[in-house]
Amino acid sequence: MAGFDFLHDPDWRRSVLRDGFGRSFFGFLGFAVVTGTLSYILRGHDAFVAALWGDLDLVTNVLPRVVIAVSIAALIWFLIPRDRISALVGSESGLRGLLIASVAGTITPGGPASAYALLAVLAGSGADRGAMVAYITAWGTLGLQRILVWDVPFMGPEFAIMRFAISMSLPIIAGLIARRLPMQLTVKDPGQ
Amino acid sequence: MSIGLAALLGLLVILVIVAVVRQQDAAPVVKRFAEQFAKLVPRMLCALVGAGFVATLIPKQLIAGLLGPDAGLLALPVAAAAGLMVPSGPVISFAIAAVFAKAGASTPALITFLTSWSIFAAHRILIFELPLVGASFFRLRIASVAVIPFIAGVLAMLVGLITTFGQAAP
Repeated sequence: MAGFDFLHDPDWRRSVLRDGFGRSFFGFLGFAVVTGTLSYILRGHDAFVAALWGDLDLVTNVLPRVVIAVSIAALIWFLIPRDRISALVGSESGLRGLLIASVAGTITPGGPASAYALLAVLAGSGADRGAMVAYITAWGTLGLQRILVWDVPFMGPEFAIMRFAISMSLPIIAGLIARRLPMQLTVKDPGQ
Repeated sequence: MSIGLAALLGLLVILVIVAVVRQQDAAPVVKRFAEQFAKLVPRMLCALVGAGFVATLIPKQLIAGLLGPDAGLLALPVAAAAGLMVPSGPVISFAIAAVFAKAGASTPALITFLTSWSIFAAHRILIFELPLVGASFFRLRIASVAVIPFIAGVLAMLVGLITTFGQAAP
Protein backbone atom coordinates (compact mmCIF):
# COMPACT_ATOMS: atom_id res chain seq x y z
CA MET A 1 0.00 0.00 0.00
CA ALA A 2 1.31 3.41 -0.96
CA GLY A 3 0.20 5.01 2.31
CA PHE A 4 2.78 3.04 4.30
CA ASP A 5 5.77 4.46 2.41
CA PHE A 6 6.80 6.39 5.50
CA LEU A 7 7.93 3.09 7.06
CA HIS A 8 10.79 2.96 4.54
CA ASP A 9 11.63 6.64 4.78
CA PRO A 10 15.06 6.86 6.47
CA ASP A 11 14.41 10.44 7.67
CA TRP A 12 11.19 9.45 9.36
CA ARG A 13 12.80 6.39 10.96
CA ARG A 14 15.66 8.46 12.26
CA SER A 15 13.35 11.09 13.74
CA VAL A 16 11.29 8.41 15.51
CA LEU A 17 14.47 6.85 16.90
CA ARG A 18 15.65 10.27 18.05
CA ASP A 19 12.32 10.86 19.80
CA GLY A 20 12.64 7.54 21.59
CA PHE A 21 16.33 7.34 22.37
CA GLY A 22 17.56 10.92 22.20
CA ARG A 23 19.52 12.71 24.85
CA SER A 24 16.63 12.93 27.30
CA PHE A 25 16.26 9.14 27.22
CA PHE A 26 19.71 8.85 28.75
CA GLY A 27 18.71 11.43 31.34
CA PHE A 28 15.86 9.14 32.38
CA LEU A 29 18.13 6.12 32.31
CA GLY A 30 20.61 7.97 34.52
CA PHE A 31 17.78 8.89 36.91
CA ALA A 32 16.86 5.19 37.27
CA VAL A 33 20.48 4.18 37.84
CA VAL A 34 21.19 6.93 40.38
CA THR A 35 18.00 6.37 42.40
CA GLY A 36 18.61 2.61 42.28
CA THR A 37 22.14 3.03 43.58
CA LEU A 38 20.99 5.40 46.34
CA SER A 39 18.22 3.02 47.31
CA TYR A 40 20.72 0.15 47.51
CA ILE A 41 23.18 2.14 49.63
CA LEU A 42 20.70 3.88 51.94
CA ARG A 43 17.93 1.30 52.29
CA GLY A 44 19.82 -1.96 51.87
CA HIS A 45 19.73 -4.99 49.60
CA ASP A 46 16.25 -6.26 50.53
CA ALA A 47 14.46 -2.94 50.00
CA PHE A 48 16.28 -2.54 46.69
CA VAL A 49 15.22 -5.96 45.44
CA ALA A 50 11.64 -5.43 46.62
CA ALA A 51 11.48 -2.08 44.80
CA LEU A 52 12.93 -3.65 41.66
CA TRP A 53 10.29 -6.40 41.64
CA GLY A 54 7.61 -3.80 42.27
CA ASP A 55 8.94 -1.85 39.29
CA LEU A 56 8.83 -4.89 36.99
CA ASP A 57 5.28 -5.59 38.09
CA LEU A 58 4.35 -1.97 37.35
CA VAL A 59 5.98 -2.03 33.92
CA THR A 60 4.15 -5.18 32.82
CA ASN A 61 0.91 -3.62 34.06
CA VAL A 62 1.41 -0.26 32.44
CA LEU A 63 2.79 -1.25 29.05
CA PRO A 64 -0.42 -2.77 27.59
CA ARG A 65 -2.40 0.24 28.82
CA VAL A 66 -0.05 2.64 27.13
CA VAL A 67 -0.25 0.73 23.85
CA ILE A 68 -4.05 0.85 23.99
CA ALA A 69 -4.17 4.49 25.07
CA VAL A 70 -1.85 5.66 22.32
CA SER A 71 -3.85 3.66 19.75
CA ILE A 72 -7.04 5.34 20.96
CA ALA A 73 -5.48 8.78 20.73
CA ALA A 74 -4.13 8.10 17.23
CA LEU A 75 -7.58 6.97 16.06
CA ILE A 76 -9.33 9.92 17.70
CA TRP A 77 -6.89 12.30 16.03
CA PHE A 78 -8.24 11.21 12.63
CA LEU A 79 -11.83 10.23 13.47
CA ILE A 80 -13.15 13.17 15.45
CA PRO A 81 -13.70 16.33 13.43
CA ARG A 82 -11.33 18.72 15.12
CA ASP A 83 -13.24 21.82 14.11
CA ARG A 84 -16.18 20.52 16.12
CA ILE A 85 -13.98 20.19 19.20
CA SER A 86 -12.82 23.76 18.83
CA ALA A 87 -16.44 24.92 18.64
CA LEU A 88 -17.14 23.13 21.93
CA VAL A 89 -14.06 24.26 23.86
CA GLY A 90 -12.60 27.04 21.71
CA SER A 91 -11.71 30.51 22.90
CA GLU A 92 -15.31 31.70 22.44
CA SER A 93 -16.71 28.86 24.55
CA GLY A 94 -16.89 30.78 27.83
CA LEU A 95 -17.74 29.08 31.09
CA ARG A 96 -19.58 26.33 29.23
CA GLY A 97 -16.33 25.34 27.50
CA LEU A 98 -14.59 25.04 30.87
CA LEU A 99 -17.45 22.89 32.19
CA ILE A 100 -17.39 20.59 29.14
CA ALA A 101 -13.61 20.25 29.41
CA SER A 102 -13.87 19.47 33.14
CA VAL A 103 -16.49 16.77 32.58
CA ALA A 104 -14.40 15.28 29.76
CA GLY A 105 -11.34 15.17 32.06
CA THR A 106 -13.37 13.58 34.84
CA ILE A 107 -14.55 10.68 32.67
CA THR A 108 -11.40 10.10 30.58
CA PRO A 109 -10.39 6.50 31.32
CA GLY A 110 -6.85 5.18 31.49
CA GLY A 111 -3.70 6.69 32.87
CA PRO A 112 -1.74 9.75 31.83
CA ALA A 113 -0.93 8.24 28.42
CA SER A 114 -4.55 8.57 27.30
CA ALA A 115 -5.21 11.88 29.08
CA TYR A 116 -2.14 13.65 27.68
CA ALA A 117 -2.59 12.15 24.22
CA LEU A 118 -6.14 13.52 24.22
CA LEU A 119 -4.85 16.86 25.50
CA ALA A 120 -2.58 16.93 22.45
CA VAL A 121 -5.67 16.35 20.29
CA LEU A 122 -7.40 19.27 22.06
CA ALA A 123 -4.35 21.47 21.49
CA GLY A 124 -4.23 20.50 17.82
CA SER A 125 -7.94 21.34 17.43
CA GLY A 126 -7.52 24.91 18.59
CA ALA A 127 -9.02 24.42 22.04
CA ASP A 128 -8.89 27.40 24.37
CA ARG A 129 -6.01 27.50 26.88
CA GLY A 130 -8.44 27.64 29.82
CA ALA A 131 -10.24 24.56 28.56
CA MET A 132 -6.94 22.67 28.16
CA VAL A 133 -5.88 23.51 31.71
CA ALA A 134 -9.37 22.68 33.03
CA TYR A 135 -9.34 19.36 31.19
CA ILE A 136 -6.04 18.10 32.56
CA THR A 137 -6.70 19.49 36.06
CA ALA A 138 -10.07 17.71 36.11
CA TRP A 139 -8.43 14.49 34.94
CA GLY A 140 -5.87 14.76 37.76
CA THR A 141 -8.06 15.89 40.65
CA LEU A 142 -11.49 14.47 39.77
CA GLY A 143 -10.73 11.51 37.48
CA LEU A 144 -13.41 8.95 38.28
CA GLN A 145 -11.21 5.99 37.52
CA ARG A 146 -8.58 7.12 40.01
CA ILE A 147 -11.19 7.87 42.69
CA LEU A 148 -12.80 4.43 42.28
CA VAL A 149 -9.63 2.38 41.89
CA TRP A 150 -7.37 4.24 44.34
CA ASP A 151 -9.15 6.65 46.70
CA VAL A 152 -11.92 4.27 47.73
CA PRO A 153 -9.82 1.19 48.61
CA PHE A 154 -6.83 3.08 50.05
CA MET A 155 -8.50 5.93 51.92
CA GLY A 156 -12.09 4.74 52.41
CA PRO A 157 -15.33 5.85 50.70
CA GLU A 158 -15.99 8.82 53.01
CA PHE A 159 -12.64 10.39 52.20
CA ALA A 160 -13.13 9.67 48.50
CA ILE A 161 -16.50 11.46 48.46
CA MET A 162 -15.03 14.36 50.41
CA ARG A 163 -12.08 14.74 48.06
CA PHE A 164 -14.29 14.54 44.99
CA ALA A 165 -16.75 17.15 46.35
CA ILE A 166 -13.98 19.54 47.31
CA SER A 167 -12.22 19.15 43.96
CA MET A 168 -15.27 19.94 41.82
CA SER A 169 -14.55 23.66 41.66
CA LEU A 170 -10.79 23.30 41.10
CA PRO A 171 -10.60 22.73 37.30
CA ILE A 172 -12.89 25.72 36.66
CA ILE A 173 -10.77 27.96 38.91
CA ALA A 174 -7.59 26.76 37.17
CA GLY A 175 -9.15 27.34 33.73
CA LEU A 176 -10.26 30.86 34.66
CA ILE A 177 -6.76 31.67 35.94
CA ALA A 178 -5.20 30.26 32.76
CA ARG A 179 -7.41 32.50 30.60
CA ARG A 180 -6.27 35.60 32.47
CA LEU A 181 -2.53 34.92 32.54
CA PRO A 182 -0.56 36.99 30.04
CA MET A 183 1.59 34.07 28.86
CA GLN A 184 2.44 32.84 25.40
CA LEU A 185 1.10 29.45 24.40
CA THR A 186 2.62 27.87 21.32
CA VAL A 187 1.06 24.55 20.53
CA LYS A 188 3.23 21.65 19.44
CA ASP A 189 2.10 19.60 16.49
CA PRO A 190 -0.91 21.69 15.35
CA GLY A 191 -3.55 19.88 13.34
CA GLN A 192 -3.18 19.89 9.58
CA MET B 1 -8.75 -7.30 34.44
CA SER B 2 -9.09 -3.88 36.04
CA ILE B 3 -11.89 -1.40 35.36
CA GLY B 4 -9.53 1.02 33.69
CA LEU B 5 -8.09 -1.50 31.25
CA ALA B 6 -11.56 -2.79 30.39
CA ALA B 7 -12.84 0.74 29.73
CA LEU B 8 -9.84 1.50 27.52
CA LEU B 9 -10.25 -1.73 25.56
CA GLY B 10 -13.96 -1.07 25.07
CA LEU B 11 -13.23 2.43 23.78
CA LEU B 12 -10.57 1.09 21.42
CA VAL B 13 -12.93 -1.53 19.98
CA ILE B 14 -15.61 1.11 19.36
CA LEU B 15 -13.14 3.42 17.65
CA VAL B 16 -11.76 0.62 15.45
CA ILE B 17 -15.31 -0.25 14.36
CA VAL B 18 -16.02 3.42 13.57
CA ALA B 19 -12.75 3.63 11.63
CA VAL B 20 -13.58 0.53 9.57
CA VAL B 21 -17.12 1.74 8.85
CA ARG B 22 -15.83 5.14 7.77
CA GLN B 23 -13.04 3.50 5.70
CA GLN B 24 -10.40 5.56 7.47
CA ASP B 25 -6.99 5.07 5.83
CA ALA B 26 -4.87 3.03 8.27
CA ALA B 27 -1.45 4.39 7.29
CA PRO B 28 -1.63 7.85 8.94
CA VAL B 29 -3.05 6.29 12.10
CA VAL B 30 -0.16 3.82 12.28
CA LYS B 31 2.28 6.65 11.63
CA ARG B 32 0.94 8.81 14.44
CA PHE B 33 0.86 5.77 16.75
CA ALA B 34 4.53 4.98 16.04
CA GLU B 35 5.58 8.60 16.58
CA GLN B 36 3.77 8.99 19.89
CA PHE B 37 4.81 5.53 21.08
CA ALA B 38 8.47 6.37 20.47
CA LYS B 39 8.11 9.67 22.32
CA LEU B 40 6.63 7.99 25.37
CA VAL B 41 7.62 4.41 26.00
CA PRO B 42 11.44 4.19 26.25
CA ARG B 43 11.64 7.12 28.67
CA MET B 44 8.59 5.93 30.54
CA LEU B 45 10.15 2.55 31.33
CA CYS B 46 13.21 4.21 32.88
CA ALA B 47 11.05 6.68 34.81
CA LEU B 48 8.86 3.93 36.24
CA VAL B 49 11.87 2.01 37.50
CA GLY B 50 13.47 5.14 38.97
CA ALA B 51 10.21 6.21 40.62
CA GLY B 52 9.99 2.89 42.45
CA PHE B 53 13.40 3.57 43.96
CA VAL B 54 12.49 7.15 44.89
CA ALA B 55 9.55 5.80 46.87
CA THR B 56 11.98 3.88 49.08
CA LEU B 57 13.99 7.07 49.65
CA ILE B 58 11.19 9.44 50.76
CA PRO B 59 11.25 9.90 54.57
CA LYS B 60 7.58 9.03 55.02
CA GLN B 61 7.40 8.87 58.82
CA LEU B 62 9.24 12.17 59.20
CA ILE B 63 6.80 13.95 56.89
CA ALA B 64 3.78 12.25 58.47
CA GLY B 65 4.77 13.76 61.82
CA LEU B 66 4.35 17.24 60.33
CA LEU B 67 0.86 16.64 58.96
CA GLY B 68 -1.17 16.05 62.13
CA PRO B 69 -4.12 18.19 63.22
CA ASP B 70 -1.84 20.21 65.56
CA ALA B 71 0.13 21.46 62.59
CA GLY B 72 -2.81 23.63 61.49
CA LEU B 73 -2.19 25.74 58.40
CA LEU B 74 1.48 24.75 58.31
CA ALA B 75 0.39 21.25 57.31
CA LEU B 76 -0.80 22.53 53.94
CA PRO B 77 2.54 23.73 52.50
CA VAL B 78 4.28 20.63 53.90
CA ALA B 79 1.65 18.38 52.32
CA ALA B 80 1.84 20.26 49.01
CA ALA B 81 5.64 19.94 48.99
CA ALA B 82 5.39 16.22 49.80
CA GLY B 83 3.03 15.81 46.84
CA LEU B 84 5.66 17.43 44.62
CA MET B 85 8.24 14.92 45.79
CA VAL B 86 6.41 11.82 44.58
CA PRO B 87 7.43 11.31 40.95
CA SER B 88 5.36 8.21 40.34
CA GLY B 89 1.92 6.79 39.73
CA PRO B 90 -0.99 6.12 42.07
CA VAL B 91 0.43 2.82 43.38
CA ILE B 92 3.11 4.68 45.28
CA SER B 93 1.38 7.97 46.04
CA PHE B 94 -1.66 6.30 47.58
CA ALA B 95 0.51 3.91 49.56
CA ILE B 96 2.29 6.98 50.96
CA ALA B 97 -1.04 8.73 51.62
CA ALA B 98 -2.14 5.67 53.59
CA VAL B 99 1.08 5.82 55.63
CA PHE B 100 0.40 9.51 56.35
CA ALA B 101 -3.20 8.76 57.31
CA LYS B 102 -2.20 5.96 59.69
CA ALA B 103 0.32 8.29 61.31
CA GLY B 104 -2.52 10.71 62.08
CA ALA B 105 -2.37 13.23 59.25
CA SER B 106 -5.45 15.48 59.08
CA THR B 107 -7.97 15.22 56.25
CA PRO B 108 -7.09 18.68 54.81
CA ALA B 109 -3.41 17.69 54.77
CA LEU B 110 -4.18 14.42 52.97
CA ILE B 111 -6.37 16.18 50.42
CA THR B 112 -3.66 18.79 49.82
CA PHE B 113 -1.06 16.04 49.39
CA LEU B 114 -3.12 14.06 46.88
CA THR B 115 -4.20 17.18 44.97
CA SER B 116 -0.62 18.42 44.78
CA TRP B 117 0.59 15.04 43.56
CA SER B 118 -2.26 14.71 41.07
CA ILE B 119 -1.43 17.99 39.32
CA PHE B 120 2.34 18.25 39.71
CA ALA B 121 3.66 14.65 39.56
CA ALA B 122 7.05 15.23 37.96
CA HIS B 123 7.16 11.95 36.04
CA ARG B 124 3.97 12.86 34.18
CA ILE B 125 5.34 16.26 33.22
CA LEU B 126 8.59 14.78 31.92
CA ILE B 127 7.19 11.69 30.23
CA PHE B 128 3.93 13.03 28.81
CA GLU B 129 3.35 16.75 29.09
CA LEU B 130 6.60 18.13 27.65
CA PRO B 131 6.93 15.72 24.68
CA LEU B 132 3.23 15.68 23.73
CA VAL B 133 2.01 19.21 24.48
CA GLY B 134 5.16 21.30 24.88
CA ALA B 135 6.97 23.56 27.30
CA SER B 136 4.85 26.69 26.81
CA PHE B 137 1.71 24.84 27.88
CA PHE B 138 3.57 23.39 30.85
CA ARG B 139 4.56 26.89 32.03
CA LEU B 140 1.05 28.22 31.57
CA ARG B 141 -0.45 25.27 33.42
CA ILE B 142 1.93 25.43 36.38
CA ALA B 143 1.24 29.15 36.80
CA SER B 144 -2.50 28.44 36.63
CA VAL B 145 -2.64 25.55 39.09
CA ALA B 146 0.00 26.58 41.65
CA VAL B 147 -2.68 27.68 44.14
CA ILE B 148 -4.99 24.72 43.54
CA PRO B 149 -3.66 22.34 46.26
CA PHE B 150 -3.96 25.14 48.83
CA ILE B 151 -7.52 25.97 47.76
CA ALA B 152 -8.36 22.27 48.15
CA GLY B 153 -6.76 22.14 51.62
CA VAL B 154 -8.49 25.32 52.85
CA LEU B 155 -11.86 24.10 51.53
CA ALA B 156 -11.32 20.83 53.38
CA MET B 157 -10.51 22.77 56.57
CA LEU B 158 -13.70 24.83 56.23
CA VAL B 159 -15.77 21.68 55.69
CA GLY B 160 -14.03 20.18 58.72
CA LEU B 161 -15.43 23.00 60.87
CA ILE B 162 -18.98 21.90 60.04
CA THR B 163 -18.78 18.12 59.92
CA THR B 164 -16.50 15.23 60.76
CA PHE B 165 -17.53 13.45 57.54
CA GLY B 166 -14.68 12.61 55.19
CA GLN B 167 -12.16 11.06 57.57
CA ALA B 168 -9.69 8.73 55.90
CA ALA B 169 -10.06 5.08 56.87
CA PRO B 170 -6.95 3.43 55.42
